[in-house]
Amino acid sequence: VYQVFESVAKKYDVMNDSMTLGIHRVWKDILMHKMNPSPGTLLLDVAGGTGDIAFRFINYVRSVRERQLQRKLRHHQNLSWQEISESYQEDKSKPLGDSQVVVCDINKEMLKVGKQKAQHLGYSEGLSWVLGNAEELPFDDDMFDVYTIAFGIRNVTRIDLALQEAYRVLKPGGRFLCLEFSHVSNPLLSRLYDLYSFQVIPVLGEVIAGDWKSYQYLVESIRRFPPQEELKAMIEDAGFFKVDYQNLNSGIVAIHSGFKL
Amino acid sequence: VRCQLCPPQHALQASAVLRRVSDEQKETFISSSQQQFSSHPTDHQSEQEPQGPRPSYTGQGGQESEDYESEEQLQHRILTAALEFVPEHGWTAEAIAEGAKTLGLSVAAAGMFHSDGSELILHFVSQCNTKLSELLEQEQKLVQLGEAEKKPTDQFLRDAVQARLRMLIPYIDKWPQALSILLLPHNIPSSLNLLTSMIDDIWHYAGDQSTDFNWYTRRAVLTGVYNTTELVMMQDSSPDFEDTWRFLENRVADAMSMGNTANQVQSTGEAVVQGLMGAAVTVSNAGTSRAVR
Repeated sequence: VYQVFESVAKKYDVMNDSMTLGIHRVWKDILMHKMNPSPGTLLLDVAGGTGDIAFRFINYVRSVRERQLQRKLRHHQNLSWQEISESYQEDKSKPLGDSQVVVCDINKEMLKVGKQKAQHLGYSEGLSWVLGNAEELPFDDDMFDVYTIAFGIRNVTRIDLALQEAYRVLKPGGRFLCLEFSHVSNPLLSRLYDLYSFQVIPVLGEVIAGDWKSYQYLVESIRRFPPQEELKAMIEDAGFFKVDYQNLNSGIVAIHSGFKL
Repeated sequence: VRCQLCPPQHALQASAVLRRVSDEQKETFISSSQQQFSSHPTDHQSEQEPQGPRPSYTGQGGQESEDYESEEQLQHRILTAALEFVPEHGWTAEAIAEGAKTLGLSVAAAGMFHSDGSELILHFVSQCNTKLSELLEQEQKLVQLGEAEKKPTDQFLRDAVQARLRMLIPYIDKWPQALSILLLPHNIPSSLNLLTSMIDDIWHYAGDQSTDFNWYTRRAVLTGVYNTTELVMMQDSSPDFEDTWRFLENRVADAMSMGNTANQVQSTGEAVVQGLMGAAVTVSNAGTSRAVR
């Protein structure tokens, strides 16, 4: 797994865009809306190398926080100017409302690309980058509010261990969210999808990233991955409750969600 | 609340509660729990809520040791705790998140509910209806024991509707928002259900014995009275909502007199019909007698 992503890291984002025709952005946005994080949420994004989910999280929380502050200001009709300016100061200093995201990835190269992107796009606070293995996370128990793994769980050798680790590091009431390629049930769409995956994607891989093998591996790992119901059972086995999944694009991608209660 | 558990699940529950206490035992419990889960659905029939395909429960370590509750009960607790944040945040996922925080859960637990706050509102409405039923039940007991006078119907209805509407007072600023959310298509079945069962309750305790067409008219009338009074209350700014209660009194009086008018119409109609019949008989008698002569 490590070698595959080492070679893939730099061109990762470009390949994502071309393979999914840019739809992966929509998938990630939907994931963020489903999460609906409130300011003060602590997010752990595993296998989140280049930071897509992390940046979306920060944007979302920032806009929710702005709306919150606007509402507070509207209620300040009756206060004196002194009090208003005081509360304005302390709110201004917390534009994210204490929300934080920790991006954890097994691969240094992916993290490096992520950090560069963050600098380039101007994200400075609320972000941490940690090197770690999903099967053995370097964090304490009961730390995070939300754990996400977007297009990463497929590459984990022991999925059950990763799920158990997710359970461990989540606070009680915390949420597990997994965005991953999954099983298409519609037979017509399934055939078109197979055609596209096996014929087009490795070619794109060769042309854009100069790497046929890695993208062949990618497509095969998607096929080998357990389908929606099976993954749901595995998540329940790890101890999560209210486990559910939502199919996007009729099964090409699925979001699984579970709570630690 | 305790569930009746059979021993194998008890070990599983113990693991859920104690997992935070002892980490060393984590490995063994997790592996045993994985085995237990497969026998889960078959063993567990005596679960409180029969709804979910996988009846499940949670261990709440902390205050009450070894107190197990179902997901649904936990959800109810979160929603109840969220109610105190409604005046500040409105009927939103934020209020639910704050409620979850007071219970010691992560704010992400609000993700269990719909993001528009529907469940919170429905929970509140059903809580109010239950309180109303209990109130009416107690009043009825007092009447049966002879400690109180049985109220005339219009007085009874006025008091019942007023009692129910007064429960909205702490949340009245955000109630219009709640009403509009209850009117969303996906909420209409549940909200309509709650409304009709509440009206049913009130008529039941008012001593409604009818099983005929009147049953429907009475419910329709009272539903109309309730809804209009609720809307008037939203924009009432008089002290202690005097204007609303006066409006309510007038509407209930209208409803009562409407019932009387209906009866009057019926009896007048009968009288008219009898008159006509008599006239017809007289005419035919006169005709036959003339024929005989």
